[in-house]
Amino acid sequence: MKSAKCHSLRKGRKEENMSQVSASEKAKLSDSKFEASTLKAAAKKNALIKSLTEPAALIGVVIILCVVFSLINARFYGIVNIRTILEQAAIPLILAVGSTLVILIGSIDLSIEGVMGASAMSFVLLTANTRNPHDHGDVAVLAGIATGAVFGFASGYILTKFKVPSFVVTLGMWFVGQGFATMLYGDTATPYMTNSRVSGWSPRLTFGLPNAFWAALIVVVLGFLLLNFTKLGRSAMAIGNNESIAKTTGLNIDRVKISIFTFAGALTGIAGIIGAIQLGSGSPDVGKGSLFVSVPAVVIGGTALAGGRGGVLRTILGVFLLTILNDGLIVAGVSANYQSGVAGLILIAAIIFALWSRRDKLGVAK
Amino acid sequence: MKLSFKKKALVALVTTGLTLTAISVGVENSANAAGVNPKNIVFVASVINTTNPYMASNIAGAQALGKKLGIPVQIVDSQGSSQVEISKIQAILAQGKTVVMFVNTVSSSDAPIIVNAVKKAHGFVSIWWNKPDSLEPWNVGNSFVAFQKHPGVSSGACDADKLGAALGGKGNVIELPGVKDSTTSVTRVAGFETELKAKFPNIKILDAQPSNWDPNLAYNNTKTMIAKYGNTINGVWSADDAMQTGSIKAFTDANLVNNVKFASDGLYADTIAAIKSGEGNNAIVGETFHRGYAASAIGLYTAYLAAIGKIDPSKLPHSERDSMFKIACVDSTNLDQYTKWDNNIPGWIDQLIKNGPWNTQPFPLVAGGPEKTPAGWASQF
Repeated sequence: MKSAKCHSLRKGRKEENMSQVSASEKAKLSDSKFEASTLKAAAKKNALIKSLTEPAALIGVVIILCVVFSLINARFYGIVNIRTILEQAAIPLILAVGSTLVILIGSIDLSIEGVMGASAMSFVLLTANTRNPHDHGDVAVLAGIATGAVFGFASGYILTKFKVPSFVVTLGMWFVGQGFATMLYGDTATPYMTNSRVSGWSPRLTFGLPNAFWAALIVVVLGFLLLNFTKLGRSAMAIGNNESIAKTTGLNIDRVKISIFTFAGALTGIAGIIGAIQLGSGSPDVGKGSLFVSVPAVVIGGTALAGGRGGVLRTILGVFLLTILNDGLIVAGVSANYQSGVAGLILIAAIIFALWSRRDKLGVAK
Repeated sequence: MKLSFKKKALVALVTTGLTLTAISVGVENSANAAGVNPKNIVFVASVINTTNPYMASNIAGAQALGKKLGIPVQIVDSQGSSQVEISKIQAILAQGKTVVMFVNTVSSSDAPIIVNAVKKAHGFVSIWWNKPDSLEPWNVGNSFVAFQKHPGVSSGACDADKLGAALGGKGNVIELPGVKDSTTSVTRVAGFETELKAKFPNIKILDAQPSNWDPNLAYNNTKTMIAKYGNTINGVWSADDAMQTGSIKAFTDANLVNNVKFASDGLYADTIAAIKSGEGNNAIVGETFHRGYAASAIGLYTAYLAAIGKIDPSKLPHSERDSMFKIACVDSTNLDQYTKWDNNIPGWIDQLIKNGPWNTQPFPLVAGGPEKTPAGWASQF
């Protein structure tokens, strides 16, 4: 009887224990759910803060630079210089939007200098010029853009169909573009534009700002809309994040990549046309030095070179940081002997400051 | 005396080495003494790029001379890179024919490498525009036939005279030098600043922004300087016409071109057109005249004469091996007398062959090098 009592007591305790365990587990479960939702909310909050603080830090750097340059020379914030900066930023902005999209899919486009030359020469030789009797008006603009798009398409096609890394394909395409431009240039006199309405278009003001800047602004808006509100943009981000997973969802990777490269090529074409207009003539070297402004601008803006993270709007900050630095050092009267070194030091300091909030997340810097 | 095997081998090795050295020296000397058969010669013209009008003119001169003498011409496009330049030249030297070469060097430091490569290949080379002052042809041998250029100091001084006079001796100017450390740019800047200071002390140089011979960069730099100095800029000096083109466009865009005077170097075809049309209230007031076709033809012809044995470089005076040729000072009044050969390069080549490399107008030899910047000059920027 005693044993039966003990047994029932033990059974009762066991059941009690079990019920106690399940209660604690339940409590734990509900705790962990609460924690998860709290963590999720915190992560969201952090992401929001980060998405605001990173650009805010860059904006802060740009503002500090502007204040310093203005204190050194008040002409820096004069309307003439502001318009100069906006016009100088136009070409890098257009190129950087294309570069941002390409980098977001995890690729790189090194062809822009050669393709700009090819587009510029195509445009100049089809608009009114001193070399030939052609004057095809807006068709010349379309031809310039189309030239860029064809080169972009070719890069994308070779990249996807022949599995050649974008670094190599676009490097080759740079020289193909340069060669095409040189062939069009020939060995006679430089082709100059003869229509002053066309050659004076870039600095001409519309609503107080240079036309070239308006064109760049339209491109930025288009790039932003494409990236954030179209299937192509979302697919590009997905590919950049993880191409293998994106593939398993049935995404046509090749088509997305070719489309992005073609779009970027067309933007390079626009940049080439504006470069030719600013110069008033055709030159295969119109894009000289552009690569080393556009790609750094994208990276400074916070777009990851590995792809999948970043955006067009951040790139604007990168472009303006570099443009303001170049302009400001001249306006501030820094000797040409030191400009390059001073610009480099300011740039490094600016990036350290702008990315300070992310230093803990970056376990390894490569 | 019995020699061990090792000693015999050493003697054989030394003897072979001495014999080969004697043969190779003999080959080089005999090539100079007897001269190379023109049928075995190939002309090579190495240019910095193929799109700059001056470089295009270099190519035109080489081709015209090659056609006249019946010698094939190869063009080396350095694509603005010393590495590309040197590797392409080395590839051509390996082809086997006797190379007679004109090189418009990308930078001064390329010259020793090129000269040594040509020497090893028993070729003949004339270098134009850039070399280290310490590298002299007579210290290298007959393969390095000559270094030739137009004086940069005279070029800058000419522009200072024209610009200063056009501004009436007072006002503010800005400078657009080329590549900051290029000898050609440095000497032109030195000539301009020294002459301006000496003859026009009331003209102030506001700023100088090196623009790397690049019209795009010159355009942007000028725009920023316009923003900085506004309409206080009265004159612009550029180290070459390519940069002047970008600068004039920037002033045109700012609606200031009618108030500013320009002077530069090179007298490109587009500059001639602008002077003749009186663009921007006769904006271009001074230019220096020299031609790419003349440089390449003079350089190649000098090296050719050495190759065929018509001249012995080792017996030439130093001024004919490190040479400066005349650079003329041009404005709208005397333009036509200098540009008459531009559309008749073969006609000028005939003059060159008739008069020789040092006596052909309008580019006769004027002095020996190396060129020095004026004493006491130091750039203020």
